[in-house]
Amino acid sequence: MTIDDRRLGELLTESNDLHHDALRTMPATLSDVRDYAHESGDRRPEPAELETFNRRRMQAATHIRDSNGARLVGGAALVGALATLVGRPALADQALDIQMLQTASSLERLAVNTYKAALGLPFIASGNATVKAFAETTMSQHDEHRQAFQALTESMGATAQDEPNPVFQKVVDEAVPTLMTPIDVVNLAAALEEVATETYLFDLTMFEDTAAKELMGSVMGVECQHLAVLLAVAALLDGGGEALIMIPTDVAALPAAAGSVAFPEPFNTINDANVAPAESGAVS
Amino acid sequence: MTTESNPQLPPLERLQSTTLSRRKLIFTTGTAVFGAALLAACGSDANDSADGTSNSGTSAGTTPDATTGTTAAPGTTAGEEAPATTDGEATGDLAIAQLAAGLEVLAVSTYQSAADAAGSGALGEVPPAVGEYVATALAHHQAHLDAWNKVITAAGSDEVTEPNAELAPVVAEQFAGVTDVIGAAKLALELEMVASHTYLTAIPLLEAPEAIELAGSIQIVDQQHQSILLFVLGEYPVPDVFQKTDKSAA
Repeated sequence: MTIDDRRLGELLTESNDLHHDALRTMPATLSDVRDYAHESGDRRPEPAELETFNRRRMQAATHIRDSNGARLVGGAALVGALATLVGRPALADQALDIQMLQTASSLERLAVNTYKAALGLPFIASGNATVKAFAETTMSQHDEHRQAFQALTESMGATAQDEPNPVFQKVVDEAVPTLMTPIDVVNLAAALEEVATETYLFDLTMFEDTAAKELMGSVMGVECQHLAVLLAVAALLDGGGEALIMIPTDVAALPAAAGSVAFPEPFNTINDANVAPAESGAVS
Repeated sequence: MTTESNPQLPPLERLQSTTLSRRKLIFTTGTAVFGAALLAACGSDANDSADGTSNSGTSAGTTPDATTGTTAAPGTTAGEEAPATTDGEATGDLAIAQLAAGLEVLAVSTYQSAADAAGSGALGEVPPAVGEYVATALAHHQAHLDAWNKVITAAGSDEVTEPNAELAPVVAEQFAGVTDVIGAAKLALELEMVASHTYLTAIPLLEAPEAIELAGSIQIVDQQHQSILLFVLGEYPVPDVFQKTDKSAA
């Protein structure tokens, strides 16, 4: 396989520069959030807010997509666990916005840990150079997301979450012993990206805080791209096209499906099994 | 809407620099009634009356489309409707929906032009993956347009059938200079960025949860379109740590 290491390096450098540009915009956003924190004080979520959160999740649960379920490692067990969470009242005592930010931090921490573990696997560390570089860059991006969510949480007067999400940690723990090939890793990573994307899409409909919406929306717009790339990579690996996983690629040699496999539907609907409950990552 | 684009710039740069003034979007009123209209859109088939009102119903964020068997757009579910206009001018969520629909019309027409050009051989040899992408993205944007028009008409306004007036001439000029797949992909990338940046800008401004979900669900797909286009163009497919909004039309 041909890898243009110099070009890939240039692209990664550009990406890192963009990271720093994006981070420079964060202080302005956070100052708005600090103002909000002073105004709102230590507000606790109203029972009606939590009821609405869980009711909307229950509605979304009626439309679980089979294709998503197939991708989600340990999906059946997870649905059971989530059904338990959905069925009981939320017990966390922080405002719902803070809970959602803490849960987002927990998902990002889990993503960072998982990509780090994946990079330690011999068939990733010594495998396709583009896949490895993507995993490294994506891990770094998730860590930036984690820091941003944590900073926003703290600016609202709450404690930042730095532990992995316990609900989806179980899914990862169950999957890790089964990771034998690159496609196993790609599928697990795709499942986590899908969880992040759909959790954030759902949370956007629940947030009251504008800065939180802006941040989560901007992170969602990146997690979904991670997912798209992973879906395309998985399809190429599955179809014997590993040699085409490179930047730049041989566009003419790509199978037709490469033009559509990354976005199977015109709308990214919400699968309840992929939504981390707000309280699941809350700091108790 | 007013434009802040610089006519001295080449077409693609003008598209990149074009921003539409948000002053024309009146965000202070009309949101609540538009939210009700959003709720009305999907469930209105059986309940609509001649004057455009419908019975209330329950909301579900994701609903299967009974007529097509496919997954319908989020946020287009049952409820009540009412116009969200002030003196004939759209306001609040409705104004954003109309802006979004205008962008989707532009995307549909541009992808259709690309498909036609590819079919006629005007773009040279078109790789199978690119042909598949164009067909898929065209269908996606048509679905997005249909979704927005569904809620717009449920709010008592006319559906949007014309492309965004400020961007359309810039895109047309740019498309006239496209002679190959790479040029078409670069133009498509710009259009997808304008769309997803606009949705991200709009989400904190929208008030109806159903509208937020619809905008977010489209933002995601448009971002994913960009990743594949970047890959085709030989660029890193996830270039930003945080999605930007600098190309937003809102």
